[in-house]
Amino acid sequence: MLKYILKRILSLIPVLFVVSCVIFLVVYMIPGGPATALLGMEATPDQIDALNAELGFDRPFLVQYVDWFTNVLRGDWGESYFLHQTVTSAIAEYFVPTLSLAVFAQIIALILSIPLGILAAYKRGTALDLTCVTASLLGSALPGFLLSMFLMLFFGVYLHWFPVAGYAALSEGLGEHLRYLFLPALSLGIVQAAYLTRMTRSSLLETLYKNYIQTARAKGLKEKKVVMKYALKNGAPVILTAVGQSFGSLITGTIVTETLFNIPGLGMLTLTSINRRDVFVIQGVVIFVTLLYVIVNLIVDILYGFTDPRLRPGRK
Amino acid sequence: MKRKPLFGAAALLMSTALVLAGCGGGNSDSGSGGSGDSASKNKEELHVAISANPPSLDPQSINSNIVGGIGVHVYEPLFAMNADYEPTPVLAESYEVSDDGMVYTIKLRQGVKFHNGEEMTADDVVASMNRWIEVSAKANTLIGGSVFEKVDDYTVNLKVNQASSDIIMILASPIQAAAIYPAEVVESATAEGISEYIGTGPYKVSEWKQDQYVKLEAYEDYQPSEGEASGLAGEKQAATPTIYYDVVTDASTRIAGVQSGEYDISEEIPIDNYEDLSSDNGLTLKVDRGGTLNLFLDTTEGVMANQTFRQAVLAALNCDDIMLAAYGNPDLYELNASWSDPTDTQWGTDEGSEYYNQQDTEKAKELLAEAGYNNEKVVLVTTQDYPEMYNATLVVQEELKQAGINAEVETYDFSTFMEHRSDPQQFDMFITSNSYNMLPIQLSVLDSGWAGLNAPEVTEGITAIRAASSDEEAAEAWADLQTFLYEYGAATVLGHYTGVIAMDKGVTGYDYLRFPIYWNVTASE
Repeated sequence: MLKYILKRILSLIPVLFVVSCVIFLVVYMIPGGPATALLGMEATPDQIDALNAELGFDRPFLVQYVDWFTNVLRGDWGESYFLHQTVTSAIAEYFVPTLSLAVFAQIIALILSIPLGILAAYKRGTALDLTCVTASLLGSALPGFLLSMFLMLFFGVYLHWFPVAGYAALSEGLGEHLRYLFLPALSLGIVQAAYLTRMTRSSLLETLYKNYIQTARAKGLKEKKVVMKYALKNGAPVILTAVGQSFGSLITGTIVTETLFNIPGLGMLTLTSINRRDVFVIQGVVIFVTLLYVIVNLIVDILYGFTDPRLRPGRK
Repeated sequence: MKRKPLFGAAALLMSTALVLAGCGGGNSDSGSGGSGDSASKNKEELHVAISANPPSLDPQSINSNIVGGIGVHVYEPLFAMNADYEPTPVLAESYEVSDDGMVYTIKLRQGVKFHNGEEMTADDVVASMNRWIEVSAKANTLIGGSVFEKVDDYTVNLKVNQASSDIIMILASPIQAAAIYPAEVVESATAEGISEYIGTGPYKVSEWKQDQYVKLEAYEDYQPSEGEASGLAGEKQAATPTIYYDVVTDASTRIAGVQSGEYDISEEIPIDNYEDLSSDNGLTLKVDRGGTLNLFLDTTEGVMANQTFRQAVLAALNCDDIMLAAYGNPDLYELNASWSDPTDTQWGTDEGSEYYNQQDTEKAKELLAEAGYNNEKVVLVTTQDYPEMYNATLVVQEELKQAGINAEVETYDFSTFMEHRSDPQQFDMFITSNSYNMLPIQLSVLDSGWAGLNAPEVTEGITAIRAASSDEEAAEAWADLQTFLYEYGAATVLGHYTGVIAMDKGVTGYDYLRFPIYWNVTASE
């Protein structure tokens, strides 16, 4: 097991290397540099050149990259010129709201989707099933920003139940923290729920017509036990993969939702650092996000083993 | 039993929502304990939604409206503009000029304290002002080489590089302002700017959370200068104890936020929303004239080097259509050939207006023929990051095509656009919106680094304005230079734009001079 995890983590290194190289090249090739963004619209070319030289951005690509790469190996991810802090501390800071939001949104998505998915599969072909399927298709088709704006207008501007935007840190109290996160989490949760409902439904449909279910019923087990224990457990790997993917996409930052609701998370950091050409932050965020995504997938793979012993890593 | 999961889920979600919604309300009235709750109930916190995270809080070096707008609340200069655009002493008490106009002796106010509790003395002023002359591009081009020297603790001398009637005005320019910092802050500053934000203003920076907010708190030992509040000078009260500048990059969020009461004031309301919001009874909209939308022409490369061709371009423009496309509503712009604020009594002039807004396609065609134009491609570079610049560019392209010019538009993101803009080989024309300057000699169009205009007439014109012995003479010299800009076809004003700020009906005391001014603002509960 440990060996398997280690192997997976080691296989990350070439991925990260290629990703970092490509990103560095892309950022290097797009015109405009941090100095242009830092000095504003009416800065003279001389001023921009001077600041670029000062910051070391006038050096050749390879020199810059090797310099950055050796620093990263030493644990120094560079410093942001705009945030006046190191990249690692910036990522640590911006990751907290994203993590909170992702967990909250995932909980909402699970609360909505698992019962709905089970019910739809169980009542296959009925009006209830049809409604669930239609709603989940609609949910996947609806652009996230539209849903966000609708929720913002309805619950924020019209009903005044929730703040329209902003973020309260956990240190301001759990209630306040969740109150600010509720609308964005609901918006993200609904979209994820739409996907998860369909996955739950289809994986359950497959198992519900298997022979062992017939057997379980035949030997007189209660319906609840048949569905919740036998069917659901056997459908779990598919659902888990879907949940893992959905959590992976939530935790790596949701640019649009975070920007709309003004949540200082990874998504917002990504967008603003690209606009500012804040090279080291872009690099740091991309590598961090890649890492996160791979780790989430790894955890999902390991979890398979708990739902289905046949899939335990290391078993032939 | 079968329906249980669905109902359970719905019930759980609803109850979470209601509990969370119930938590609210304790947000803004948390600090209302101490002060008198008798007469008017004003908020203790003012929330202002701004459109971008300030790149720094160093107004000396950064040419940014957001930095400048926050900066005027925190830092003060020796002189500042009052509502009539007259330089008025703020940290200075008085000044005298030597007979040859080369030495300014400036007396400082005594007993003024920085936010760190230390008294402001000549050492701080000398260090700050000498840094300012170096790092502020606006100052450097005009009075570079001038030096501040200490005479005694409350007197400094300014030895200027060249006698001019506008020295005190330059010291009072609000953008890239001559903010006075403590000497030790200046000494520890790097190329990226200062790292401590200490001034003498009515508010001190209490917290800056990147990408979230800048929190200002009233400075209890603030020493206001005498005289009634007027523009950026006079009495500043810090009427609301705390100001939050909330960074809200998305415009629709700024709008929803001011409508819901999350923010008391939202800056940079997009023009598209102007009509919608003006029918909202809970809001007041402030429309302040902000600057000019300009078309700059390359004067050096290929067909653009031909003055007759450039004249053809100016002849083809219909500025009303361009401004309407850019700003959407005739209430929000004004057509005027002046490069300065038309209401500015000294510098507002419509000299050269025969070249402005000509709407004469026939004349353009004739001039093209005369210039020997042979359907060479002409490139307009622009960026969609500033919708007004982009929309105006599309209309200009259409109008140029009508006249028979092979005009093409290239669109980039902002940073790339700026890169193209600074190199005449990479553009033929471009449009930018530029905020007003206090002095016309500070205009970007006169800077050869902006759009490559490098004519001797410009340098001569600037010298004439600066060497003028009276305000009238200076105004006349500027009118001549403005005429030259039009005649030469170097650039044209397209029109004057306004900025829209939305605020709650309960907000009073708002003022505007180059930046929104909040130090006398209160918001009722």
